Amino acid sequence: MKSKSFEENLNELEAIVRELESGNVELDKAIEKYTEAMKLAKVCSDKITKATEQVNKILNEDNKLEEFKAE
Amino acid sequence: MELNYLTVGELNNYIKGVLERDAFLNRVYLKGEISNFKNHTTGHFYFTLKDDTSRINAVMFASAARNIEFKPEDGMNVLVVGRISAYPVAGSYQIYVESMQPDGIGNLYIEFEKLKKKLEQKGLFRPEHKKRIPKYPSRIGVVTAPTGAAIKDIMSTIKRRFPSCEVILFPSLVQGASAAPNIVEQIKKADAFGLDTLIVGRGGGSIEDLWAFNEEIVANAIYECNTPVISAVGHEIDFTIADFVADLRAPTPTGAAEMAVPTVMDTLNIINQYKIRLNKNIKNMVNNKYIELRNLKQSYILKNPMAMYEVKMQKLDTLVEQNNRVITAIIDNKKIQLDKVKDAYILKNPLTIIDGCKKNYDVLLSTLKALNPLGILEKGYSVVKKENEIIKDIKKLKKDDELNIKFMKGEIKATVKEIIK
Repeated sequence: MKSKSFEENLNELEAIVRELESGNVELDKAIEKYTEAMKLAKVCSDKITKATEQVNKILNEDNKLEEFKAE
Repeated sequence: MELNYLTVGELNNYIKGVLERDAFLNRVYLKGEISNFKNHTTGHFYFTLKDDTSRINAVMFASAARNIEFKPEDGMNVLVVGRISAYPVAGSYQIYVESMQPDGIGNLYIEFEKLKKKLEQKGLFRPEHKKRIPKYPSRIGVVTAPTGAAIKDIMSTIKRRFPSCEVILFPSLVQGASAAPNIVEQIKKADAFGLDTLIVGRGGGSIEDLWAFNEEIVANAIYECNTPVISAVGHEIDFTIADFVADLRAPTPTGAAEMAVPTVMDTLNIINQYKIRLNKNIKNMVNNKYIELRNLKQSYILKNPMAMYEVKMQKLDTLVEQNNRVITAIIDNKKIQLDKVKDAYILKNPLTIIDGCKKNYDVLLSTLKALNPLGILEKGYSVVKKENEIIKDIKKLKKDDELNIKFMKGEIKATVKEIIK
């Protein structure tokens, strides 16, 4: 789950919501999907609220990234 | 007292060194009017740049002169970039021009329209080439100047809206002759970096200031960039070629940052909406199943399991009864058939049949008798044979033939004495 991007996780969440809303899912399967979707929702919100703020970077003349503060 | 006298050459060379060590004079942006223009056979340009009060000699070597996209002539106002140095032979200083373009906004607009038309015809602006800008990027690149409001606005806007997104600056010149190739180089570097989105731009300025973003090489670099590009050049009213070719055009650098990332609040709202829908859905589903179960429990059959059994019993009784009836009917039928056979005439009168047969036999016997060839002998006829062949015609006989003659009783041999005819 870690290798997936935020957007992929969010898209997957949306797909499950739509699938469940289609009504074509057995109850057992639906509960499984529901649990998975709730996990995805948590992963998504954690990613954008709990993650530490990213440091701005600049590509220097040696083609290396270093911290950058805009003045 | 010994004084150190310099030669002229020594002085001129010293002055040349002073000029060349000066950082400011190393790169001078100069505007002026061309006079005394000479295009030497070697390809070098020699001319004077002047304004109302001053003049300076200018030289543009063939290597630089080749790149000029217009035909310089006397009286033309131009913008040049170059370095100042001395020409020791003549004891004069001059500007060594590296690039030159016509001055005057009118010229720039003409050039702008020309390039726009050309690229439009090549299909660089077509909507089908526009890439989708990722909604939730985790890494955004910015090609712009490392100083100034543009990068500051972009970075602060992204941090404020979506702090989990990483921003990487690919510093570039954004005005002057070297800006365009520098922008191209940085776009290419950024494209190889695995970014979600790339913002290319600068803050507002005059049309000359923004000119790098109207250069064909920049347009091509944006077009060829695999990373989705948002252009953010100048203010809302400024349109550059880069804006037309970019996947998305932002009115300002801040606007580009707003288009590049969502806000955390909006995103959390979306996630919450999904959660609400999920909860509602699963609740409904469980509820429906519960109702279904309750209905089933209350169904007649589950409440009266014997009822199902009774129906079957009744059916079985009916079937047994029906079966009995059919079998009895068949047996009765067969009995009747048997009685009929028993009553048959033939079984009751076997002698009549024997009588009939005897009568028949007698008829046949007398017929047989009548047909017996030997029967005829009884009436006194005889049979004459020659060599076992019965003779009916004397033509078959001649004198002295041996004959056998059969009578009813007995047989003799005889010889033909004479054929009488």
